[in-house]
Amino acid sequence: MHSNLWKEASLAAAAGVLASVARAGDAVAVDELIAKIKSQDEKVRTQGWLGAGQVGAAAVKPLAETMTDANREVALAAKRALAQIVHDAGRPGADEQKKAVIAQLLLLLGDDRPAAVRREVLWLISEIGGDESVDAVAALLTNAEFREDARCVLQRIPGDMSLAALRAGLESLPADFRPAMAESLRTRGVPVSGYPDQKLVPTKATGVKPVGR
Amino acid sequence: MDKLKRREFLATAAAAASLPCLIPSGVLAVEGREGANGKLTIGHMGIGGMGSYHLHDIKGRADRGEVNLAAICDADDRHLENASKIAGPKADVYRDYRYLLERKDIDAVIMATPDHWHGVGMVHAAESGKHVYVEKPACCTIEEGRAMIAAARKNKVSVQVGSQGRSTGDACAAASYLRNGMIGKVSKVTCWHYGNPVGGTDPDSPPPPELDWDLWLGPMRWRPYNRCYCPGNFRWFLESGGGQIRDRGAHVMSCALYLMNADHQPPATIEAKGTAPTRGLWDCPVDMEVVYTFKDPDWTLVWSQPGNPPPKGDAGHNQYGAVYHGDKETLTLYGGDGGTWTEKKARQFKVPAGGVEVYRSPGHKEDWFQGIKTGKKTIMNIEAGVAVADLTIMGNLSCILGRKLSWDAARGRFLGDEQANRMISRPQRHPYHL
Repeated sequence: MHSNLWKEASLAAAAGVLASVARAGDAVAVDELIAKIKSQDEKVRTQGWLGAGQVGAAAVKPLAETMTDANREVALAAKRALAQIVHDAGRPGADEQKKAVIAQLLLLLGDDRPAAVRREVLWLISEIGGDESVDAVAALLTNAEFREDARCVLQRIPGDMSLAALRAGLESLPADFRPAMAESLRTRGVPVSGYPDQKLVPTKATGVKPVGR
Repeated sequence: MDKLKRREFLATAAAAASLPCLIPSGVLAVEGREGANGKLTIGHMGIGGMGSYHLHDIKGRADRGEVNLAAICDADDRHLENASKIAGPKADVYRDYRYLLERKDIDAVIMATPDHWHGVGMVHAAESGKHVYVEKPACCTIEEGRAMIAAARKNKVSVQVGSQGRSTGDACAAASYLRNGMIGKVSKVTCWHYGNPVGGTDPDSPPPPELDWDLWLGPMRWRPYNRCYCPGNFRWFLESGGGQIRDRGAHVMSCALYLMNADHQPPATIEAKGTAPTRGLWDCPVDMEVVYTFKDPDWTLVWSQPGNPPPKGDAGHNQYGAVYHGDKETLTLYGGDGGTWTEKKARQFKVPAGGVEVYRSPGHKEDWFQGIKTGKKTIMNIEAGVAVADLTIMGNLSCILGRKLSWDAARGRFLGDEQANRMISRPQRHPYHL
């Protein structure tokens, strides 16, 4: 049986996360959340990640660290908890909570974090990040491992700053990546010449031959 | 059975020149195409699963001399090898669908790729001048749907979305029964469907050599290969398949919009709740309920997993379907896909003089062929396909975000929810973009 309703995540307090809700943001709430996420009981883990939004920004870093747990189900629960925090922080009227969460997410983009965490955090930033996120995301355009994700995130973040970062990338990034940058700019409504759209250009051949020919 | 002869195309095109009737550019372009033999020439994009079904179907039509089967493509060489045995030596094989789209002799494509390719693939096909039969659900994001509609209109191609329930006799009978007021004013439609599976517990691994993982992922963000994605299991990821609501919902709710004559009536509010999976990569809610409200006319649509299945009656099964609640009585439509049944009272209903006549599809592909030939709207045209896909996308989005959403149809935006509005679209990997 699966009794955890997403819709009722905010009511999860009544089912056992109440203490965490009451002390949202404090260390005890975070510890309780991480303990749930690391539980060997899948129902407890699920209850934990569903209630993570109530704990908020304070849990972002510990959850990111738990995303590399050797137990893949624990890592997965941490990842979902992080997403839950972002979805909760993105709700209408939660601007202060959103700012706090974004600030924590931006701290996780550094070289000291595993690639899987950085990639996940990038896409979470794409859902709620604004001007404050642009520099940190744009910095990853020069990293071959993350540049495509960073481009997508900048494309999604509204405003002039992200647009300026995309324009700057088109000028400065290696030639092989400029068509992708050009496409992001076109998606944002900016005409770009010199980099024809490559979407209809076939590149991948198969070794399979028609049977019987 | 329609045979799409060149003479018929040209005669239709000539007649249409003086009429304000849409004639697809691809039809006109048939003249002079090498190898067309006066028949529609078809290519297949995605030939596993439903793609294999479509390939068998088109191969049969080709063997009967009704169409030409020109090419097949798939990101998986195993699929290609198997499908080539079905398609025969005349059909070329490609990994990259863009080779297929380059060919001027191909008039139309049948797309049965994983769902995350439907939007991009259909848009690319339309931009290449091909008529498209695209499997349901039409799209994975609201933005994809908009692009699909725009591409079909701009390139004047005929599109049929694979929600084939509308083409069944029983759906037509049920629509006729409802639209003639036999159950009274319908205020509520309740859909039921069994839940999503829990799973996806295999570890990441290198992709098998026969699979082009990059191409399979296409527009989705990069991630390591995991056998829990493919083949087939993309269905259980919100990002790709979207679960039962986007899969069978594209059938059951397609019928709901059809019976309610509501293809052009977007929802006003969407409120979802779901039961989260407790393990595994598959992230679709196991059980789920989404309530959609519509205004002017006012009615409510409920998608429910598992919901309350009615007794089977004389239907083949009661695994999924919908009950239509009128102020006089109810009507049940079981299934909603290729297997669709309704109640005897609707099947036996005869439209009275002056009553509402409902178009009866000659068959889902035949209806598409007619669309190609004459320019008429298909029964599950791209606007209708996107309308139902949007319902399913919004339902999942409300569940993911954990809040009720209000839709401003005039502006094409959610009211007062910036995060939800960002999720109308999803940036796509280069060069697999709209």
